Amino acid sequence: MSTATAFTDTHVVIAPMLVALVTAILTLVTRRSGRTQRALSLLGGVAYLVAVARLGLAVLPDGVLVYQLSGWPAPFGITLVADALAAFMLGLAAVVSLAILVFSLSYVDDQGQRVSYHPLYHFMLTGVSGAFLTGDVFNLFVWFEVMLMPSYVFVVFYSGRRHTAAALQYTVLNLVGSALMLVAIGGLYATTGTLNMADIARRLAAPAEFGIDSGPVLGLAAVLFVVFALKAGIVPFQFWVPPAYRAAPAPVSAFLAGVTKKVGVYAIVRLYFTVFAAGTLEAGLGLPGLSGRSFLAFFGPVLFVMALASMVVGGVGAVSRDDLDDVFAYSSIGQVGFIVLPLAVVATVADPAIRVLGLVAALVYSLNHAVAKSLLFLVSGAVFEAVGTLKIPQLGGLTSRRPVLSGSFFVGALALVGIPPLSGFFGKLLVFDTGARAHAAGASLAWLALAGALVGAVFTIAYLSRAWSRAFWGEVSPAVDRAGRPVVLVAVVAALAALVVAIGVGFDPVYGAAEAAAEAALDREGYVEAVDPARFEPTDESSAHALGRLPGVAP
Amino acid sequence: MQPSRTALLALLVVPFLGAGLTPLVYRVLGERTAYYAAAVAAVCLGLVGSLYGTTGTVVVPWIPSYGVSLALYVDGLALLVGTLASGVGVLVFAYSGGYMHGEPGQAKYYATLLAFMGSMLGVAFAADLIALFVFWELTSVSSFLLIGHYQDADASLYAARKSMLVTVSGGLFMLVGFLVLHDAAGAALGEATFRLAGEGSMLANADAMVAELRTRGLLVPVLALVGLGAATKSAQVPFHIWLPNAMEAPTPVSAFLHSATMVKAGVYLVGRFRPLLFTDEWLVLFAALGLATMTVTAILAVAASDIKELLAYSTASHLGLIVAGFGLSGVLGAETGAFHILNHALFKAALFLVAGIVAHEAGTRAIDDLGGLYRDLPVTAAVTVVAALGMAGLPPFNGFYSKELLFHAAWEVATEAVAGGGSPLWWLIPAVAVFGSVFTFLYSIRFLMLFFGEKPEALGEVHSPPVAMTAPAALLGALALAVGLGGVTATAGVHLAPVEAFVGSVVDGTVVAAGDHGGHGNFSYHLPTKVTPYLLMSALTVGVGAAAYPSFDRIRDGVRAVRAVDPLRPNWYYDGTVHGLDRSAAIDIVQTGQLRTYVVALSLVTAALTLGAYAAAGTGLPALVAAGLEPALVVVLLVAVVGAVAVGAAPSHIAGVLTLSIVGFMVAIFYILASAPDLALTQLVVETLVLVIFLLVLDKLPAFYGSIPRLRALRDGLVALAVGATVTVTVLLSTAATPEDVIAAYFVENAPVPAEHGPVFVDAGGGGNIVNVILVDFRAFDTLGEISVVAMAALSVVTLVAMRERGEVR
Repeated sequence: MSTATAFTDTHVVIAPMLVALVTAILTLVTRRSGRTQRALSLLGGVAYLVAVARLGLAVLPDGVLVYQLSGWPAPFGITLVADALAAFMLGLAAVVSLAILVFSLSYVDDQGQRVSYHPLYHFMLTGVSGAFLTGDVFNLFVWFEVMLMPSYVFVVFYSGRRHTAAALQYTVLNLVGSALMLVAIGGLYATTGTLNMADIARRLAAPAEFGIDSGPVLGLAAVLFVVFALKAGIVPFQFWVPPAYRAAPAPVSAFLAGVTKKVGVYAIVRLYFTVFAAGTLEAGLGLPGLSGRSFLAFFGPVLFVMALASMVVGGVGAVSRDDLDDVFAYSSIGQVGFIVLPLAVVATVADPAIRVLGLVAALVYSLNHAVAKSLLFLVSGAVFEAVGTLKIPQLGGLTSRRPVLSGSFFVGALALVGIPPLSGFFGKLLVFDTGARAHAAGASLAWLALAGALVGAVFTIAYLSRAWSRAFWGEVSPAVDRAGRPVVLVAVVAALAALVVAIGVGFDPVYGAAEAAAEAALDREGYVEAVDPARFEPTDESSAHALGRLPGVAP
Repeated sequence: MQPSRTALLALLVVPFLGAGLTPLVYRVLGERTAYYAAAVAAVCLGLVGSLYGTTGTVVVPWIPSYGVSLALYVDGLALLVGTLASGVGVLVFAYSGGYMHGEPGQAKYYATLLAFMGSMLGVAFAADLIALFVFWELTSVSSFLLIGHYQDADASLYAARKSMLVTVSGGLFMLVGFLVLHDAAGAALGEATFRLAGEGSMLANADAMVAELRTRGLLVPVLALVGLGAATKSAQVPFHIWLPNAMEAPTPVSAFLHSATMVKAGVYLVGRFRPLLFTDEWLVLFAALGLATMTVTAILAVAASDIKELLAYSTASHLGLIVAGFGLSGVLGAETGAFHILNHALFKAALFLVAGIVAHEAGTRAIDDLGGLYRDLPVTAAVTVVAALGMAGLPPFNGFYSKELLFHAAWEVATEAVAGGGSPLWWLIPAVAVFGSVFTFLYSIRFLMLFFGEKPEALGEVHSPPVAMTAPAALLGALALAVGLGGVTATAGVHLAPVEAFVGSVVDGTVVAAGDHGGHGNFSYHLPTKVTPYLLMSALTVGVGAAAYPSFDRIRDGVRAVRAVDPLRPNWYYDGTVHGLDRSAAIDIVQTGQLRTYVVALSLVTAALTLGAYAAAGTGLPALVAAGLEPALVVVLLVAVVGAVAVGAAPSHIAGVLTLSIVGFMVAIFYILASAPDLALTQLVVETLVLVIFLLVLDKLPAFYGSIPRLRALRDGLVALAVGATVTVTVLLSTAATPEDVIAAYFVENAPVPAEHGPVFVDAGGGGNIVNVILVDFRAFDTLGEISVVAMAALSVVTLVAMRERGEVR
């Protein structure tokens, strides 16, 4: 391949980001004309989907595509890396975000849309795309910030008392997270001498060659882990989730639960299973209950405890709440436990087949949760638009007044429960299969993982059947009797419900994509080789001399 | 003969297609949709009929990458369940045409029932464990929707949710069992497969499968997991609690789902897995489960006050009998299960239709308010005689023969075990079988007596039912009678060959190839011709039952009294758990709503995780290098420390902010001393701005902090120390590291314009200040992102101002 074609080809890597960024700017400058702004926003959402699809098609045969910003070679410049994992996550984000965007056009009030909704939405999408694509830890921080900044505004969008309180909590906790991320990234640079993720992996695999002491790196990885767990809303970092999801406008809650949460999950997969998995400790782990030499051996038990705690906290919370948004918010805490649980298994077993299976389980579950949970939050938005309340005691009898909306909720709820042949069934199936195979392979606590997953699943049935029978069945309440007809909103919701069915019935290609993504996530050599971080060979004396004056750098 | 691929696939497509078209059909036909649905069911029945005499597998690929296919398998057992699903379906749809007259939600009702029928056919014919599970859960979901048909009634909602929780949860446990089997098949068969029946399947390699499961120590877990699926679906103790509530559904649903078909899915599963997993463990587990259910629910049926409640407990009890039959070893066990599936479906579906007629025409389902109905409902009474006596197990009615088989099997198992040196506890099996059957006899007679004796005065006029309702009941009753009389004629040498051959083929599907000896396809039944121990067991049952019947009311009250004591109350554990959770405020302990507890938790967990990681890695603290620190630097840092302490002790907001800025300015000075003037400038600007903004805002807030309890101050102090320690250790370790090949070296070399390069510099940064070049060139992409953040921050302010007090009121 000539350099010229390589240059053109890899532009597809940055295309989704550019589309989102340009759309954000265009919708910002067209604020005076609401109609143009909305048209551009929708066009941008579609273009984003096209760009992602194009990228996916490019990744399919080529494996890993690498784009070096400004042509600076890795690891010195910033690298974007599109592999099957990134493509899978982008695809999830593109589909869900487009549905949410269409919903927003009809749902968010005109003034709000004109002021800032569209630019912020596409900035948020830019941040999400950047986080999925970047191959540089500091750049990851930047895209996290780009993703978070709009979400702060969105949580407080309605500017009521409760929204302000929720936004304060959300912002403070995430700012603490950002500070921790900076500490961790600064530390990682100081201890490994690089910011490029492939380069970190390469160096951690040969610490002696690069003068690296692995111990501090493990501690810094732990700090960074907190940040990602906070984004994913895993217990004990879930505190912000219920108030924020409840306060934000429904489409934003759908985005936060469906897409932003998955950025946290992605970051854990990418950094811990691709990058930090390279790290080993010569002496092994020295705490009771931990064994092994790999970095993952430390994070495995941590993930395990967090997954089980998430299922319990989410379940206990969701089953007792009387507000639909609250139920869905706690449900998100519980469901992320199902994503993390197979990751915990992957972190602790050695069998490569089970490792791939576990990651497939986490990814398929993420996809299901992205579609089904955003579906449910959009249902709650449509219910609010139609009825004017989300309080379960004031709802009731929705099936007889709004059958399509109710049916869509039912499909989403069944998907979360794991009823076949919907998307969620395969998530559950693969999570269980991971546990069962790990158990058969002799993993000591795999039975506990299975038991936890079963208990979590029973909780899911309990809270969704409760919401269904009280809000959608039951006597028609006065509020429901007066319900309006939000046609566009219901159409979007129904389309997502159809998607939930389609993913399940036509699961084979989805499985193939998830498997390719899982293999990409575990293929550290392939990742490092594709990015191909160079070693710096100083060419002149003066720079070596100048380097000597930098603090903390060995001359 | 191989089954027809087209017929099998059509069997699955037709009902779902029919369900999908129902809303349209309903617009055209209105209430006559019932007969459309009956026609769909009749087509299915015809398709099932066309499969008679065939056996084999048909495979449609579904998810090849995960090894899942839509494999369908035909044998006697599958045909039995398939026949029940479509045959009873035809009758129930026709019956619904009368029963559902004037009811709301009919389109949904027929669509769901048709979808259910399709799912049930899927369960019957699926040969792939995942495909089986798909249809299995779909039957649970359609059952949920049908139980909640009268959605205005709280009792329906309670019942629907309970059935969903119990059956779907049980299904998930079963799924785990399937996955364990799948994995074990990988070792036992050489290739992991989900194929249950047919060539190269688990059933075809039962011995290898059991051996593999035993080596893995997973035999009992698999039995328990699969058993949980079957027990929840078939309402076995202690999961029988959902079935009586399920009677909130319209009566045709109860007849169809909750007696003839859906609840049979569980026993079908037990029969299907019997040849695969039959072992001593199986015998103990399923015989105990079945007999316990049979007895407990028969006792509860005696205490029932509503005719459908009685039938529901009775159904659970007979399902227990079937499970016990499949649990016992030998051909006899298989025959018990297989024959009783058929017999129970016939008499119980008939009785449910009778109950529907009674409720519809007499206007009540309360047992105590009914009596003497034969005068008004003669045909129904005749059906009841046949069906109820069959249920009681009286000869020559159909239930007698299968119950006699159970007694026979129980007796054989016990004598064989005791003769082989087993404990005398084995005698419990026949003893419990008889004990439970006494109660079956009691409630069956009680049901029958609804039609005889005096008609209570309170009972008003009883209408005559429409033919659409009596005909299906009469047909079922006639079939039950025919099966019963077949035994009589068989005694005289004239066998009811089609029934015997059919049951024989079902038995073939459930016998253990190696363990069960003899008896392939040559099943026959007849009245006993000589006195045997098991005939005496039957006689004992009837004798004790008849003797006790006069005291029925006292027995019933006794059972009710026992049932009212809490741990013995059937719903005790379910209501306790579910209501407890529904109203639990436990989550408020975690989600306090207060930011300070969240931050404390976040800080402490972060500190613990980080310090834990350092400790796990065995990382020691680097030696502090105090030498080389300039005195000025030390002074600046000390002032910063003093400032930090003072923040904690500040008496007001203003004082706090001012002391905080001392820390900030000291950091700025530190930057200057460390030769970073640009950082220092940034820090100074930020510090100044923050101070000004703080002061402006504080002007609007109360000046006083309020005091906090000493204990909390202490706690906060400790948290702060933990965080400080974590950061300090992190900074010390980071700054002590000396990695090689630091990327900064590249920037140092490539940032400036190389001297020999001239004015063109494509491959170099081309700036005098390395920081600037990094920001705008090497890492310009970061800067782009940060500029976006700044733009958004400005936009946020605009939004906050513009949207103030505008939003929805939520």
